[in-house]
Amino acid sequence: MANPFNLPMMGRSLRNLLSRPATRRYPSEVRPHFAGTRGTLEFDLDTCVFCGLCARRCPTVALTCSREDRFFAIEQLRCIACGVCIDLCNKDSLRMSEDAPHVHLHTGAAPGDPRPGHQEWHQQPPDGSPPVPGDAAGGTATAAV
Amino acid sequence: MDGTAFLARVEQYHRDGWRLALINVTTVLPAASAAHGAPGAHGAHGAEAPAGEAPAGEAPAGEAAAVAALPMGGPGVFEIAWGFARDREFETIREQIEAGTTVPSISEFFGAAFLYENEIRELFGINVTGIGVDLKGQLYKTSTRVPFSHAAVKARLAALAAAPVKPS
Amino acid sequence: MKRTTIPFGPQHPVLPEPLVLDLILEDEKVIDAIPTIGYIHRGLEALVESVEYTEFGYVVERICGICSFMHGMGYAVAMEEIMAVEVPERARWLRLIWAEMSRIHSHLLWLGLGADAFGFENLFMHCWRTREEVLDIFEKTTGGRIIFSVNRIGGVRRDISDTELAAIVTKLQQLGASFTETARIFETDPSIRHRLSGVGILSREDAHAVDAVGPMARASGIRMDTRLTGTHLYDRLDFEPVLETAGDCLARVVVRVREISQSIDLIRQAVDRMPKAEGAPIEVKVRGLPTGEVFERLEQPRGEVVYYIKANGTKYLERFRARTPTFANIPAMIKLVKGCDLADVPNIIMTIDPCISCTER
Ligand code: SF4
Ligand code: SF4
Repeated sequence: MANPFNLPMMGRSLRNLLSRPATRRYPSEVRPHFAGTRGTLEFDLDTCVFCGLCARRCPTVALTCSREDRFFAIEQLRCIACGVCIDLCNKDSLRMSEDAPHVHLHTGAAPGDPRPGHQEWHQQPPDGSPPVPGDAAGGTATAAV
Repeated sequence: MDGTAFLARVEQYHRDGWRLALINVTTVLPAASAAHGAPGAHGAHGAEAPAGEAPAGEAPAGEAAAVAALPMGGPGVFEIAWGFARDREFETIREQIEAGTTVPSISEFFGAAFLYENEIRELFGINVTGIGVDLKGQLYKTSTRVPFSHAAVKARLAALAAAPVKPS
Repeated sequence: MKRTTIPFGPQHPVLPEPLVLDLILEDEKVIDAIPTIGYIHRGLEALVESVEYTEFGYVVERICGICSFMHGMGYAVAMEEIMAVEVPERARWLRLIWAEMSRIHSHLLWLGLGADAFGFENLFMHCWRTREEVLDIFEKTTGGRIIFSVNRIGGVRRDISDTELAAIVTKLQQLGASFTETARIFETDPSIRHRLSGVGILSREDAHAVDAVGPMARASGIRMDTRLTGTHLYDRLDFEPVLETAGDCLARVVVRVREISQSIDLIRQAVDRMPKAEGAPIEVKVRGLPTGEVFERLEQPRGEVVYYIKANGTKYLERFRARTPTFANIPAMIKLVKGCDLADVPNIIMTIDPCISCTER
């Protein structure tokens, strides 16, 4: 029969009882992300030249880019934050923010609902022709959150 | 394939203290094998590869070329590799069989083979005789029956060609 | 005697993963166990038909959430072998360091789950708390905690600076020092011994007969470790696998406990011996289409993994196959489960460290 007084865990347990918790009280205390954490993909409309390189090489087909329509879209829920597009873009239009991806509270299942995580940008065509139909205003971003 | 000679070789591995590392099957489609061309003659089977030469166990090049030489009129060809490992060494016995051919089980020598053999029977539809523990088609639950049979692979490839995952 | 069939899993309080076993019992004794794979079969191997080889690495990483680095590394290494790419030395060292760190975090995760399985929740929390620090290092160095996306055919995508490497070693050594206390609990606590020692004994002969791999084989006294082949720079380190001879559940726990300290030491050696060449190239550009085939072996935390890749000169691979360690250990598990008491089944299953996502791909 094992010795009932041999309790190697006891010291540790007593110390835990007297020390501060090892966990954070999450919503009120948030650990900052480390630099370089792959969080959410961000897009900068002003520098993008709509070359489409990123959209062609994204492994999950999360990006849509159209040069004719001056249109760019990210499906955030498809993006796996691999960073391939960022490495490819030589205009530095894409960057990875450290924030965790957004939590989507709706499913977008009904017809006409915005898809969760879908973000799109339309640029005012440079020659002053009218903005793309269906878009609120040229050069703005619409995001379904 | 020559069942008796094959089992004799497997037994030799067993006696020499090798361990079964994997049994792998490749579905070879006629079109895919044509893409190989035929670089180099098909040499010896992998088992005669110099032992311990490449610790990671690289299969001899040109092995794939053998498939091109096989008659392609039939339903298709499977390439089976029985991989054995011992310390640093890794060797394979390679066979090409026509779909519909029966393969003998090696569970007699390597007890663990039953899992691989049930797997290749369920995923590739290759008939294996004398499996040590016959799971009777209960191992995998897949939506496509025999998902790696030539017909299933062709159907998938055709569907992909019709609707590519990536817009080009 | 009347036989009862009990479905064990896919959902079972002790299982972290959906293993499916049908246990056939006579009274309290298990006389047979029938495994079913495919509850979470995702058909990842068939994805080679639709995912280009350059991007398939991201799929391979997702085979398993614990060995994700090793899977990504195995795929990259195998493709490099097919395409005859010479990978920069620094990239290879970094891969080794990350691989050993994966081992530490995997073993800590498993020790926690194992402790939970035999009802020691306090210990479970401790292991996971320690593991958190390893995950933090991962997040700092790769940008991800579980999925790292850091391997690319031709090298790695992120460098670790030399000062940071030194800091990691210090951090891990501190972690190892504080872990010795937890390790001692695993090895000496009477309740753990009572629960595990002598349970599920896999003799050396049996372990060989059922082709067990990894800690499972090493706990039975088989000196088997793919790192011994010296590939992936392990030949530059002093390495001797941890062996135990008892072959029971306790031995399997102890092997993993010791492998944690061993991995910390391997990382220290690697950092000492790698050239101090910060800023040296860490990847080479890979061009062209692969032709050829390769078998690649790697030691994952759970044991040996074998990859088979066949490329036919197109963008899409012809065949990708991963024989994961749990797949190789399932025959051993079935062998152990036969003839044991129903109450011991959870512990036996836990101590093979089943990774069902790996197995079912
Ligand atoms: S980070 Fe990766 S997955 Fe996300 S959009 Fe860029 S390339 Fe695609
Ligand atoms: S690669 Fe850069 S510039 Fe080109 S479309 Fe993408 S974001 Fe725009």
